[in-house]
Amino acid sequence: MIEARDKKVPYLFLFPAFVGLLLFKLYPIFSAIIQSLHTRIFLGEELKFVGLNNYINLFEDPVFWNSLKVTLKFNLVINPLQIVLALLLALLLNANIKHIAIFRGINFVPVAVSVPTACILWKIMLSPEQGVVNSILVALGMNPQPFLTSSSQALGSIIAIASWKGVGYWALFLLAGLQEIPPTLYEASSIDGASRWQQFRVITYPMMKRSLTFVVVSDTVANMLLFAPMYILTSGGPNKSTNVLMLESYNSAFLYSDMGRASAILVIMVLITFIIISIESKLLKPEY
Amino acid sequence: MTTKIMDRRIKMITCMILILTLLTSCGKGGNNKVQESESDSSTTEVLFIAYSNYEEPLKNVVDQFKKSNPEINVKLELAPFNQLMETIEIKMGAKTEDVDLLFVDSPLVVNYAVKGYLEPLDDYFSFDPKDVWADEAVNGATYQDNLVAAPLNSSSQVLYLNKDIFKEKGVPLPAEDERMTWEETIEIAKKLTYDTNNDGHNDVFGFSFDQVDRAYQLLALSDSLGVEMVSEDGLTTDGYINSPEAVKAFQFYYDLFNTWGVSPKIDREESIDYFISGKIAMFLGANHNLPKLEESDLNYGVTLHPYFEGHEVATPTGAWNVGISKYSKNKEAAAKFLEYLTADLEGAKTFFEVGGTLPVHLELLDYIANDPQYDDFPNNIIRISAKESQETAVSRPKTPGYLEWETNMNRAFENIKNGTDPKEALDNAAEEIDRLLKKYEGVTE
Repeated sequence: MIEARDKKVPYLFLFPAFVGLLLFKLYPIFSAIIQSLHTRIFLGEELKFVGLNNYINLFEDPVFWNSLKVTLKFNLVINPLQIVLALLLALLLNANIKHIAIFRGINFVPVAVSVPTACILWKIMLSPEQGVVNSILVALGMNPQPFLTSSSQALGSIIAIASWKGVGYWALFLLAGLQEIPPTLYEASSIDGASRWQQFRVITYPMMKRSLTFVVVSDTVANMLLFAPMYILTSGGPNKSTNVLMLESYNSAFLYSDMGRASAILVIMVLITFIIISIESKLLKPEY
Repeated sequence: MTTKIMDRRIKMITCMILILTLLTSCGKGGNNKVQESESDSSTTEVLFIAYSNYEEPLKNVVDQFKKSNPEINVKLELAPFNQLMETIEIKMGAKTEDVDLLFVDSPLVVNYAVKGYLEPLDDYFSFDPKDVWADEAVNGATYQDNLVAAPLNSSSQVLYLNKDIFKEKGVPLPAEDERMTWEETIEIAKKLTYDTNNDGHNDVFGFSFDQVDRAYQLLALSDSLGVEMVSEDGLTTDGYINSPEAVKAFQFYYDLFNTWGVSPKIDREESIDYFISGKIAMFLGANHNLPKLEESDLNYGVTLHPYFEGHEVATPTGAWNVGISKYSKNKEAAAKFLEYLTADLEGAKTFFEVGGTLPVHLELLDYIANDPQYDDFPNNIIRISAKESQETAVSRPKTPGYLEWETNMNRAFENIKNGTDPKEALDNAAEEIDRLLKKYEGVTE
């Protein structure tokens, strides 16, 4: 009797946590899935079940395929770029020199600027008419560039702006990882005659795999979902060259009142993101 | 040890997925509650979602209204143009009860009515709308024989001229009542585009639209060539927005930036400042820029809206209306303020005098046509605009999917400005708009 009651007690204590988990984490995803199977009827104000129609329409829609392509292209470039730069920055900031804290602080400044503010500042600086960047280019005798107003440069410009803001942040985690490596390992290896590169390959990289995994996974999620710069700077243009899935979903939901399509895009995004981070976690699995 | 690491890894991945799901839930349409101000139980608070450009005139009207109606507290929630449309979609889509009044762009009257956002006003107003407002304005705010929004104002365009630039380049100034053709306008614009600091790039430009990339103003180009921009049932754009005439009209827009280089590639938000700071010689802008121009020390003149040689004279027009939300809990109080703002002569006059926008109230239109203060420059701009809006204005296309139509047309115009071939940009827009308009099939009259 007593034993049976004892078994229930832990579940009782876990109950509030489970409710929270269900309500705040699992319900939204199920709700999105359900919504993606419905469409709204005008006037009737009711939802109509349409099965997989929203998905089928998406797969037949060139706008969706273009957005998927843009999202993947964006992530294929920005994630490796940000992580490599963050790692290099972390290695530099890990140097044992005087007043290094000042440099660490400076690198964190862009992180402290809010995304909309940063976007608007960059938009002004990159303006094709008399923006400061073009003024510098012209002063140096180069041709002014269209940046955000050209379909061939817009995505690249956004990658640069997002990296300007993101690299310092991710470097912080990598720096913490670097500092956890016991200095004795480096001392011992240098006695054995290991070069800097060998030290990085055999000590630094394996020892910081855990923080690297965190950074890779979080960075991927953040960039898959990134849409503020596209929304503020280009509205997905020019010619849909920056129309990432997240923006397309947002527009479907809040501009064109098509919640079903928006939810279907989100469900697809969750799936893609899940697949990508599973692969990343598998590849970066620590060996010890 | 390994299980521990595995555990951690699983936890981490779970965490990530949970963050994702949480963000996904944002797609469910937030219920953005507006902070309620402290008010005792006897006052009713009316929340009004309004266009931020009208902050000053609206505040004045609200203050005046408050004097005679202390029990109604009107609270403005202001948003810039693009955000205004989205705020309305998000709030009304979520059927929030906290919105009582909202701005309604004329071409969106049908769209909002079809979606059930607007409360018919006939039961709230004791007067006949056609006795108070201009016919065109009333028709624009009527859906299925019901007045669903109250007309607030109208607009027209004049060609503002920077007299100093004309003088510096020795170009004769066009007369106030002269209507140039587009061809003549461009010839002058070419002469007035030049480089002041010798860096090889022009910094004074001959011409600019006020509403760069906006269908509202650019439709005057296609209207002058007689182009229909949507099928009669309002559901098809292929063959309309990308017809050879439409492409010809917007090739002109392309040429302004990319062939002749007489217009700077700027955003709508920057254009008026470019004109005021002397970087634009001819500025085709709305009449309600007048207060801003009067505040500046710009030496400016004015002439009529251009047209294509041998074609029709067409000027843009557009109007704002204010509607009562179907989900509002304070419809009576909202209607009381709405009547004061739009139909009451005192309220409407304050709105007109402070904001400088073209009224639709018949008595005010009468007053502009006859009062001697509108005989001379610069106030005659209001009279010219009133005349244009009655004689040459072409209203925007009628479609229940105007929001979809306009959003994608504006993007196409932006692409054309930035160098995309007009035919390609318009073809793409037609494809996308037609896909988006499908959902309105069967809901039109």
